[in-house]
Amino acid sequence: MAAVITIGLLPAIFTDSYWRSNLIICAVNVLLAIGLDFVLGYAGQLNLGQSAFYGIGAYASTLLITQLGVPFWIAFVIGVFLAGAAGVFLSMFAVRLRGHYLAIASLGFAVITYQVLLNWISVTQGPLGIYGIAPPPPLAIRGLPSIEFTNLASLFYLIAGFAFLTYLVLDQLLHSPVGETLTAIREDEVSATSLGVNCQKWKVFAFAVSSAVAGAGGCFYASFVGTLVPDAFFITESFSILAMVIVGGMGTLIGPVLGAILLTVLPELLRGIGDLRLIVYGVSVTLVVLFMPGGIVQAARLIAEDLRQRLRPDTTP
Amino acid sequence: MLTVILQQGINGIVVGSLYVLVAVGLTLIYGVLVQINFAHADIVTVGAFVAYFITHWLSGNYFAGIAAAFIVGAAFGWLMNAAIFVPLRNRSNELLPLIATIGVSIMLQNAMLILLGPIPYSFDTPYSNQVIRLGGTFFTVQNALIVLVSAITIAVLYAFMKFTFLGKALRAVSQDRETAGLMGINPNHVIMLTFVIASALAGMGGAMLGPVLVLTPFAGTSVIVKAFAIVIIGGFGNVEGTIVAGLIVGLIESYTTQFLDPGLIDIVVFALLLLTLAVRPTGLIAERREENV
Repeated sequence: MAAVITIGLLPAIFTDSYWRSNLIICAVNVLLAIGLDFVLGYAGQLNLGQSAFYGIGAYASTLLITQLGVPFWIAFVIGVFLAGAAGVFLSMFAVRLRGHYLAIASLGFAVITYQVLLNWISVTQGPLGIYGIAPPPPLAIRGLPSIEFTNLASLFYLIAGFAFLTYLVLDQLLHSPVGETLTAIREDEVSATSLGVNCQKWKVFAFAVSSAVAGAGGCFYASFVGTLVPDAFFITESFSILAMVIVGGMGTLIGPVLGAILLTVLPELLRGIGDLRLIVYGVSVTLVVLFMPGGIVQAARLIAEDLRQRLRPDTTP
Repeated sequence: MLTVILQQGINGIVVGSLYVLVAVGLTLIYGVLVQINFAHADIVTVGAFVAYFITHWLSGNYFAGIAAAFIVGAAFGWLMNAAIFVPLRNRSNELLPLIATIGVSIMLQNAMLILLGPIPYSFDTPYSNQVIRLGGTFFTVQNALIVLVSAITIAVLYAFMKFTFLGKALRAVSQDRETAGLMGINPNHVIMLTFVIASALAGMGGAMLGPVLVLTPFAGTSVIVKAFAIVIIGGFGNVEGTIVAGLIVGLIESYTTQFLDPGLIDIVVFALLLLTLAVRPTGLIAERREENV
C-alpha cells in the first residue's frame, strides 16, 4: 500500500523532466535487479548474462514494431518471450555447470549477444543504432479518458506499475513452496536432489523468469529512450545490475529494489563531482561484499535491532 | 595464399602467446584457490600503462618498462589476495570473492579513466617499427620480442613448478590443500605466492600487449573475456592446456580476421567456449588427464 502511494506521489514531487527521466530509469533498473535476484539470490546461480536478455527484449520488441509494424503490446509479449527463451537456452548450461563455470558461460553468452547486435548491421544497424522509437500507444479504456504515454509522468506510472506488479508476483511465488525449493537448490543441490527436488527443472524455471523480467525491462527501456545502440547492452551493464542486487541485499526481494534506486540516484547526485559515477558501483560492491554481505537490508536490520535495544531502558542494569 | 596463411599464423602466435601469459595466471590462481580473480584483466591494463610511462620517462628503455610492470603487477596481486581473498576465505558463499573482484575491476577501470582519460594511448616501443622479412612474411621486432619473452617466461614458470621446492608446494596445494598443510606447507603462503606470480605475469603481459593493442583503461576487458575462454577451453587449473588453448585462440583470431570478418572473433571464440562447456566442461585438452585420475 505504501509502495502504491510512493509510486503515485513521486512524479508530483519531482516535476522537472530530468528527475522524471531518472525515475523511469529507476523503474527499469528495479525490474532488471529483481529479475537477477530471482536467479542469483534465490536459486544461487551467478548469471552475468542479464545484459544480453535486457538487450534481446529491447531489440526484439523494437524491431518487431519498426520493421514489421506489430502493435506495441504484442511486440512486448514477444520480446519478453524471446528473452525468456534465451534464458532457457543459457540454463541448459546452468544445469550442467556450477558456480564459476556458469558465471563465465553466461558472460560468454553476453559477449556473443553484444557482438551480434554490433555486427548484424542489416538488422540492428550496428553501432549506428535505431532511432525514433515511438513510446507505447495510448491506453484507451471504454468510458475513461485515454492515457497518453508521451509525457514522462504517465510513462513512469506504466513502467513502475509493471515493476510493482512483477514484484508482487515474484513475492507471492517466493512465499509459496517454489521459493523454498529454489533456496534449497542454492544452499545444497545434493541434499535438495535427495529430497526429491528436480534441480534441473527448477534452474530452467528460475532462468526463464529472470530473463523474461529483464526482457520486459528492455522493451520499456527502448520505448522510453527512443534510441537503441548495442553499447547500452555491453557486459558492463550486467555488472551494474549485479551491483544493484549486491548493494541492496541478495536473497531478499526488497533489497534489489532499494539497491537499484540507490545506485541509479546516487551517481546522478554525484554527477557534479565529475566522472565518479561508475566508481561508486565498484566501491560499493567491494565494500558491501567485504563488510556487509546482506547489503542495505542487513544494515537496516542491524540498525533496527540496535534501536530496539536502546529504546528498552529496563534491559540495562 | 600460402604466405597469407603463414603470415596470419605468425600473427596468431604473437597474440596467442600474450593470451597465454595472461590466462596462465588465472589458471594458477584457480588451481590453488578454486577462485576467479576478475580484476586480473585490470592488472594487465595497469601493467600496460606502467610500461608506457616508464618507457617514455626513460626515453625508450622498453625493458625497464616491462620490469616495472612486472613489479607493479606483483604488488597488485599481493594486495588483491590480502584485501579481498583472505578476508573472504571463511565465508560459506563461494561466489562472494568473484563478485568482490568484479567490484574491484569496475573501480580500477574507472579510476584509470579519471586519471588517464578515454583517448587511446599510442605505445610505440623502439622495436615497433623494425621489420624482419622472412620468406614472404614479415613481422616487427616487437612481435618477435613478445613471442620470445612469453616463451622464456612460460619455460621459467614451468621449470619453477617442476623443480623448485616452492613450485612443488604450489602444485601440492592445488592438488589437495589439506594434505599439503599436513606435510608442513603453509597453504596461505603458497596462495599468496601464487597471486604474486600470476599478477606479475599479468602486469608483464600488459607491458607487451600495450604496443599491439588499443591502449585505453578498458583494454583489459577484451583480453580478460578471451583469457576466461582460454582457461575453460584448456581446462581450469591445467597449465599445459592453457598454453595450447591460448595459442589456438590466437590463431582462431587471426584466421577469422583474414578469412571471415574481424567482428566475428568474439563470436567464434565464445561459441567454442560454450561448445566446450556443453560437451566437456573439464576442458577439451584436460580430457586425457581426467582419465588418469
